Amino acid sequence: MASFGWKRKVGEKVSKATVQQFEEDSKKDEVKLELDGVDWLHVIKRRREVLLEDCAAKSKRLKEEGALLAEQGRHWEAVKRWDEAIQLTPDDAHLYEMKSQVLTILHEVFPAVQAAETSARLRPLWWESWQTLGRAQLGLGEVDLAVRSFQVAVHLHPSERRLWQDDLEWAVRLREQKRAAQSKANEEEEARRLLVNAPELQQDFDDFESDEVIAACTAMAERQKRYEELKKTAVVVDAQGAVREIVVEGDDTPATSTQEQLVKARGL
Amino acid sequence: MSTQYSILFKQEHAHDDAIWSAAWGKSEKDGSETIVTGSLDDMVKVWKWSDEKLELQWTLEGHQLGIVSVDISHNGAIAASSSLDAHIRLWDLESGKQIKSMDAGPVDAWTVAFSPDSKYIATGSHLGKVNIFGVESGKKEYSLDTRGKFILSIAYSPDGKYLASGAIDGIINIFDIATGKLLHTLEGHAMPIRSLTFSPDSQLLVTASDDGYIKIYDVQHANLAGTLSGHASWVLNVAFSPDDTHFVSSSSDKCVKVWDASSRACVNTFFDHQDQVWSVKYNSTGSKIISAGDDRAIHIYDCPM
Repeated sequence: MASFGWKRKVGEKVSKATVQQFEEDSKKDEVKLELDGVDWLHVIKRRREVLLEDCAAKSKRLKEEGALLAEQGRHWEAVKRWDEAIQLTPDDAHLYEMKSQVLTILHEVFPAVQAAETSARLRPLWWESWQTLGRAQLGLGEVDLAVRSFQVAVHLHPSERRLWQDDLEWAVRLREQKRAAQSKANEEEEARRLLVNAPELQQDFDDFESDEVIAACTAMAERQKRYEELKKTAVVVDAQGAVREIVVEGDDTPATSTQEQLVKARGL
Repeated sequence: MSTQYSILFKQEHAHDDAIWSAAWGKSEKDGSETIVTGSLDDMVKVWKWSDEKLELQWTLEGHQLGIVSVDISHNGAIAASSSLDAHIRLWDLESGKQIKSMDAGPVDAWTVAFSPDSKYIATGSHLGKVNIFGVESGKKEYSLDTRGKFILSIAYSPDGKYLASGAIDGIINIFDIATGKLLHTLEGHAMPIRSLTFSPDSQLLVTASDDGYIKIYDVQHANLAGTLSGHASWVLNVAFSPDDTHFVSSSSDKCVKVWDASSRACVNTFFDHQDQVWSVKYNSTGSKIISAGDDRAIHIYDCPM
């Protein structure tokens, strides 16, 4: 027997999806109503457990997705996945370590160092996080810090040959080169300082024609020469990685500049 | 003489970076007590222990990378240090001068240990060979082959008969020094063995591993005599007391534990370090313990006798 009902008529004009949604929602309401009679303390506890489990599982899925994306070279997408995963499981050192690797590839050097630092802090006994930190620090140009990180990694896991050869040895070589360049720059700076602030010119000269003035000017000229010689050499790292100082040819004409400087010195 | 375990002295900021190794020696000449520490900051420091406090005596420069291991000869005159730059250096403790520098070849210097007669220094290598250097000659004299993996730890038995090595894959090898023959191979742990030590009577061998366990072996029969648990992370160092009754262990769980050798129970735990404790040693009488680690601090503890 056909029975009359409002529902069916209304239902015909509403899309199926909406109806399903409505039905589900009302079911949930029912569940909630049922829960009203339950001890709330326990409900909250149970819910948190369920939530934690979900977070771990979801984070794992996101981690794997990110790894796949990174393999395909879709680095930014990978970072996004891992960021989501980090939101869910903020103590997973692996996530930060992988993120740091990809950020280094993307030349996002500072965030790369930050991520690796977090990873090393969360799992200080895991040598790979120190290796990644060292590589990120090299990207930032922090050679000394990188050497330290690689040393910590080697100390934790000395049987890894590549860590010795590719990372530590390489970073140590860079450190030597950097130091050579640094000492050259210091030498140059010292020579320049002596030129600008020459000790010969500190005293008062009564007689500008005196031998003292001429002696001072000669000394200044000598200094100027030394400075320019320093300027002409450059620290060069050859193919074998050895550090050498060479004279750069074809620099701007030093003769004229010497004269100019000399004139300036006399004019004081 | 104290009746209970207590911390006696703390030297905070003893180095600019993590301390990886420490040794305690006593001079035969004047009876003074010397402590040597090696750090990631490339420095070896020599301290005098007198009037219950530490005094810095020498800062020894020369190593290009972090110091992995230090040891003091049994007459207390010479210290040896090895670093990540694969050099072993010998230092005169009285003058603070370098006596010798030996290039062990890439990756071939890890733990250094003086032989009981102080004529040789043993160190492990990445190919599983134990290289023996002459203190006088400054050259490699001979080597013992374990045919195994990277050797992290080395110990001579105090009677001079045996040499034990612990590898990164958890294998322990015991050699007869007189014949150079491999006596025993023990599959003690499944993880790296960072330290091992003989008892003063050379009867027992104690090993420490990343698996968090300490194992005790009977050296002659190569039997496992006990497995001790208690550390929550890697066990980084073990040392036997000269009076044969106790041994001490340090771990990356930041603890230093003292164990009774006969009952095999932990009798005391020191929670004083802020970070991993890489090194722990007894003094020559067993009345004091020194520990040092990543927190850059040196601690000295009092032990009941």
